[in-house]
Amino acid sequence: MNPAASASASATATAAAGNASADGSVVDAPPDGAVLDTPPGAGPDADAVATPSRWRAAGMATLRWAAALAGALVIFGLFLFARGASPVDAYLAMLDSAFGDSRAIGDTLLRATPLLLAALAVAVPARAGMFNIGGEGQLVLGAVGAMAMSFALDGAIAGPPAFVLLALAGMVAGACWALIPAILKVVLRTNEAIVSLLLNYVAVIVLTWLVFEPWKDPKSTGQAYSKALPSDERLPILWANRVHVGIILAIVAAFVIWAAFRSTRWGFKLQVLGGNPEAARRAGLRVGALAVGAMAVGGALAGLGGMLEVSGVEGRLRPGIMVGFGYIGFLASWLAKHHPLKAIVSAFVLAAIAIGGNGLKIEAGVSGAAVNVLMALVLLAVLGFARPNTKATS
Amino acid sequence: MIEAVAIGAVAGGTSILLPTLGEVVSERSGVINLGTEGSMLAGALAAYIVGIQTGNPWIGIVAGLAAGAALAMVHAFFVLVRGANQIATGLVVTFLGLGLTAMFGQDYVGQGVVALENVPIPGLSQLPFVGPVLFDHDPITYLSLLAVPALWWFLARTKAGLRLRAAGERPQVLRTFGTNERTVRALAVTAGGALAGLGGAQLATAFTRNWSEGMTVGRGFVAVGLVIFAAWDPRKALIGAYLFSGAIALQLQLQAQGSDISRYLLSALPYLVVIVSLAALSRRRVNAAPEALDHVFEHAS
Repeated sequence: MNPAASASASATATAAAGNASADGSVVDAPPDGAVLDTPPGAGPDADAVATPSRWRAAGMATLRWAAALAGALVIFGLFLFARGASPVDAYLAMLDSAFGDSRAIGDTLLRATPLLLAALAVAVPARAGMFNIGGEGQLVLGAVGAMAMSFALDGAIAGPPAFVLLALAGMVAGACWALIPAILKVVLRTNEAIVSLLLNYVAVIVLTWLVFEPWKDPKSTGQAYSKALPSDERLPILWANRVHVGIILAIVAAFVIWAAFRSTRWGFKLQVLGGNPEAARRAGLRVGALAVGAMAVGGALAGLGGMLEVSGVEGRLRPGIMVGFGYIGFLASWLAKHHPLKAIVSAFVLAAIAIGGNGLKIEAGVSGAAVNVLMALVLLAVLGFARPNTKATS
Repeated sequence: MIEAVAIGAVAGGTSILLPTLGEVVSERSGVINLGTEGSMLAGALAAYIVGIQTGNPWIGIVAGLAAGAALAMVHAFFVLVRGANQIATGLVVTFLGLGLTAMFGQDYVGQGVVALENVPIPGLSQLPFVGPVLFDHDPITYLSLLAVPALWWFLARTKAGLRLRAAGERPQVLRTFGTNERTVRALAVTAGGALAGLGGAQLATAFTRNWSEGMTVGRGFVAVGLVIFAAWDPRKALIGAYLFSGAIALQLQLQAQGSDISRYLLSALPYLVVIVSLAALSRRRVNAAPEALDHVFEHAS
């Protein structure tokens, strides 16, 4: 690398770090990109001083967020209008189907569960500087792994021990799926973003094969589906006839990851690796093992999401189970800037939009997939506008 | 059977070759665009709808090209003007394309297409083997084959191509000559999106001849992978694209012949071929990447 090029490289790095710290310290108390020099555990919010300028900056940041989101809603409204639907009615229908009654709220919570876990599956590798776009496939493999465990148990164990075994199987399967891009990256320097992305298509094919051939329920005609989980391997329902314990597990997982990021050596090492791989290597960190581990943890989280969906909601496998959940989880993690606790909020918001899509379909006759547009607009608004203007560098 | 696979590889390869070439253009300037998948979908639907509305497939093709370019401009704006992360923005742009095409395409599912018909080249198409494989296709396929040497020549031999490569390798040098690399990159990303849109248009109006939600099934993402396989060289992109489409064609032939392997598993073959070839080549490709791309993957957050 010649001097000019390395100058540009460091300029890019500084600018990126600058963004992260500006965002982290202004918008939110515990930044996760800005405190390499702070020992883990001693979060910067401990000594945060609420000076007037800090408040003003926070106010401006909130305003920017509000303006960005309003812009996304207006643009989506225009698209709805172009499609011949009344934007106001459409938004009301979306609100109603996401929050209208306890069943609607239940649906939103149900959807938020796998989305949150899929978001964490992105956030953990992202902290180590890796792109995991394979949440979709890891969710599917988690569902497949849980189902395989159920077949293996063959009803021998029931209740909580069975849940644990199913969850472990799902997590192992999800982790294994995530290990493929991770190991290829570390050993062969293959691009993990692209491999994990392409493996999503392979995972869906594996699922389709299982459902149509070896695991097919002989009773299923037309619409193929697999044999069902025994009823005592279905997760207990907490609320509104549908919401299962998974939502609590997912939130606990978010807190655990958050705590691990803040106050464990592992979380700190991931951060060093993500911040500067070369420095991490020189500092004697086992860079390859850390990277592979981060992806495996991510895959296991997504795998848990898949297990929860099959044991808590679906009860069996079918083609098209969890379509798009992994990608929405990716968006949720970016929306939260890979902060595990904020991911709880972003997963919930995106789940509400996704469930709102049902209302859009029924009331406005617009394809449910149209909500992808709203999600994309929200994300673009946040990626592009919800922070002080930055000079594009790379 | 070999002939059938080869014909299928070329006919189905166009819709993977064009986005791959588009991604080569974009990445050579220093911008990775995962929105290629979205650009393809936009191009496919625009060509389909405009073709039906006007009754002229060529106007549809132009619309597809424009739609692909328009979506790529969204990527260019957020990445180059607003400084957003390239990987995340690209995926979001694909989401945008997925949603918009679902929204505006739902009334067109299953409608009759105004197809872009094959134009056999007189004389040449009569040759044994080579004739049906290379000289009996739709015009966009011929165009895509011509685009390979044309793009290579553009990148390697023209001043504009040199500027484009400079934007991806040594933006500082470009700046000392009074050109802003962001302008070059914006143009390159837009042109890349246009090529992806053209690929989508060919897919919908000439190859599968229908429209359905998400019909590109990852072709745009495969294209991004194939660019690495191709070491950012248009000539090798041709090999990569036909490797992928050849795997699709082979898989379909094996199914038709009643192979023992499940047809579901066979359909994973094209993706596995790309992943395996990426794994096999990646080490050798590390130094071939445009330098500006290195920074993209340095910061996942």
